[in-house]
Amino acid sequence: MAQAMANLATKTMSESDQGKEIVFSVAMIVVLVSFAMLFATLMMGFAMFRFTAPVWPPAGMVKPSLILPGISTLFIILSSIAFIWFEKDTANKKGLILTISLGVGFMLTQSLFWHQLKSNGIFVSSGIFPSIIYAFTWIHAAHIIVALGLLLWLLFSPTLSTTTKSKLRATSVGKFWHFLGIVWLIMFLTIFVL
Amino acid sequence: MAFFEQEIHDAPKTFLSKYVFSFDHKVIGKQFLWYGIAFLGLGGMMAMMIRWTLAFPGEAFPIFGHFLFPATNGVVPPDTYAMLFTLHGTIMIFYAITPILIGAFGNFCIPLMIGARDMVFPTLNMLSFWLAVLSAVILVASLFTPLGGAAGGWVSYPTLSTLIGSPGVGQTLWCLAIFVLGVSSTMGAVNYIATIITLRAPGMGYFDMPLTVWGLWLTAVLNALFLPVLGAGVLLLVFDRVFGTTFFLAGAAATSGSGDPVLFQHVFWIFGHPEVYILILPAWGIVSDLLAFFARKPAFGAKATALSMTTITVLSTVVYGHHMYTTQMSPLLTQSFMMLTMTISIPSAIFFANWLGTLWKGSIRFQTPMLFALGVVFVFGLGGLTGLYLATVSTDLYLHDTYFVVGHFHYTMAASVLLGGFAATYFWFPKMFGRMLNETLGKVHFWISMLGLNGVFMGMMIVGYAGMHRRIYNPYVYEFLQKLIPINMFITYSAIFMGFGQLFFVYNFVYSIWKGPKASQNPWEVGTLEWTIPSPAPHYNFDVIPVVKCGPHEMGNPNLKGRDFQYQTEELA
Repeated sequence: MAQAMANLATKTMSESDQGKEIVFSVAMIVVLVSFAMLFATLMMGFAMFRFTAPVWPPAGMVKPSLILPGISTLFIILSSIAFIWFEKDTANKKGLILTISLGVGFMLTQSLFWHQLKSNGIFVSSGIFPSIIYAFTWIHAAHIIVALGLLLWLLFSPTLSTTTKSKLRATSVGKFWHFLGIVWLIMFLTIFVL
Repeated sequence: MAFFEQEIHDAPKTFLSKYVFSFDHKVIGKQFLWYGIAFLGLGGMMAMMIRWTLAFPGEAFPIFGHFLFPATNGVVPPDTYAMLFTLHGTIMIFYAITPILIGAFGNFCIPLMIGARDMVFPTLNMLSFWLAVLSAVILVASLFTPLGGAAGGWVSYPTLSTLIGSPGVGQTLWCLAIFVLGVSSTMGAVNYIATIITLRAPGMGYFDMPLTVWGLWLTAVLNALFLPVLGAGVLLLVFDRVFGTTFFLAGAAATSGSGDPVLFQHVFWIFGHPEVYILILPAWGIVSDLLAFFARKPAFGAKATALSMTTITVLSTVVYGHHMYTTQMSPLLTQSFMMLTMTISIPSAIFFANWLGTLWKGSIRFQTPMLFALGVVFVFGLGGLTGLYLATVSTDLYLHDTYFVVGHFHYTMAASVLLGGFAATYFWFPKMFGRMLNETLGKVHFWISMLGLNGVFMGMMIVGYAGMHRRIYNPYVYEFLQKLIPINMFITYSAIFMGFGQLFFVYNFVYSIWKGPKASQNPWEVGTLEWTIPSPAPHYNFDVIPVVKCGPHEMGNPNLKGRDFQYQTEELA
């Protein structure tokens, strides 16, 4: 199946377009590896605190409820699926709009989550565990906001489904979006669930 | 190899699009060169103030002293001293050497040497430069905040860099500046990697690339991998300072729920050790090429040189612990890091031997770029060998944080990289500006720099071995260090001598840009692709994308007629 798809791709794309596709995928690999290193460093810091502490969470903290982070997770998974649906037919922008709406939903639940922490008296300066929760979700949210900006840029790009370059842009933005989803899944599992 | 051919764009016409917001990799390279040289001057002035304080404690700094430090009658105050060595390190590493070698020559050389018309993402390239400018503005602005710039050392270890150690806003601005610069360098790295992979001229395999491009490429890989690590570190430091998180606050994590200052050291050195190779790899590449070009011989074992540089790149990611032997690391870990660090000397020895092999029986032309390249061979040899004493745990416990360390890393990072940068400047100046630098002034500049820097850094090693600690405002409050005043004065005189020597370069550089003799297309008679096009390089670089048929250092081949080099576009004679 993949072979057939590749053959089809070579037939419909000129050689220069194929070259550009390689350029974009090489560049996206480097970009995503860079971002992955940023988040890996954060996770390394978390792991160090987690494994050297005899009791986790430390200092009598309780873990926050999983409901809101769970909803966030659901939103971000669904938005990635919506984007895959959009990529199958870039002329139909419904998938893109759905992706963006679910992404905004993710940001809303994250804000509710921060609000919930605050109303429970857990502030960013209350110790290492809240520090980790707040700082990591902030950094992730900052990336989500950038990615939402990129998705909006795709939405309002007039040449979206016509030129190869725009298609490659859509694929690259999509890769970044999926990447942020994966990062959130890892953070959800390690910081909130475990 | 090239995956697609770039179009020839029209030449930019307005001043803004031509010199300021230019997409052209050559102009961006020149912008980075000016940026780097300007900061080299600023960082150098800071070094002079540090040296003056160490040699003549309590005496007013000459000429500028009364203007800069009116409150103390021109004497550098202790808190300013801490700020000076912090910003000297930061500026020299991130704002002088990185822009000159990676920003300027990375941008200028990569497309020209691989036969491309520009970087693969010109807009990203321009953005990278202007983010670097933004970062520089933030850093310089931090000097004018109420408590002055950052003063926690260039490594900015907590707790020196948390609100307890540095209450001023300067340290926060330092973190932001480094973060923005990290983003800028990562953008550059993405561009370099993608360009080298996808835009090499047809026929150019990886081993047909000049070693300069190899060095820059490996640097870009390290940059893309490890700058985000520092980015995460300084981001958390900013959170600690601004929002009150407790990542790096001292205290047992389990009982008080607070953070760990040593975590920052880990994060910093996971980035920091690759960083020293980020700085030195381009210089290695440039020197490997220049030695072959001016010895009129093929680079001895070019493939082995490229592969040993790659090996060092890989090894550099797993040795960071040797900066932290004194942080109560378990002996098992210190010994593992010692072993791994020692392993780096094997690939280093391979390419060092290759350099000597290149020189062996060459008909060497002692022009200025070659003098600087030979200078790198000498000072890097010294710097590399003294590294072994610091990699060994038992000797490092004595030498840690002494001036021996300062001497060692200045030999490798300041002396080697700076001389490599000068070699590159003298070598590519004709292609950059279309004019030649003055040879006599260049040679005077070389000898003054060489003698001066050896005086400074050799002296530092001696005082360090005698026990003088780094980062002390006045070491002579300790009785056993008082005998070191004369040698510290010698170091300072050497530094002043070297500093004045740079005026020859500045004069030569500025004069030659406008008034130097016009350069021919190929003044050094070498065969890499950038010398097949006119000087200065036209905005589209290559009219027709060249087809590469041989390696970069095909010189002194007896089959060649009338000249001793051949272009990479010619069949091997």
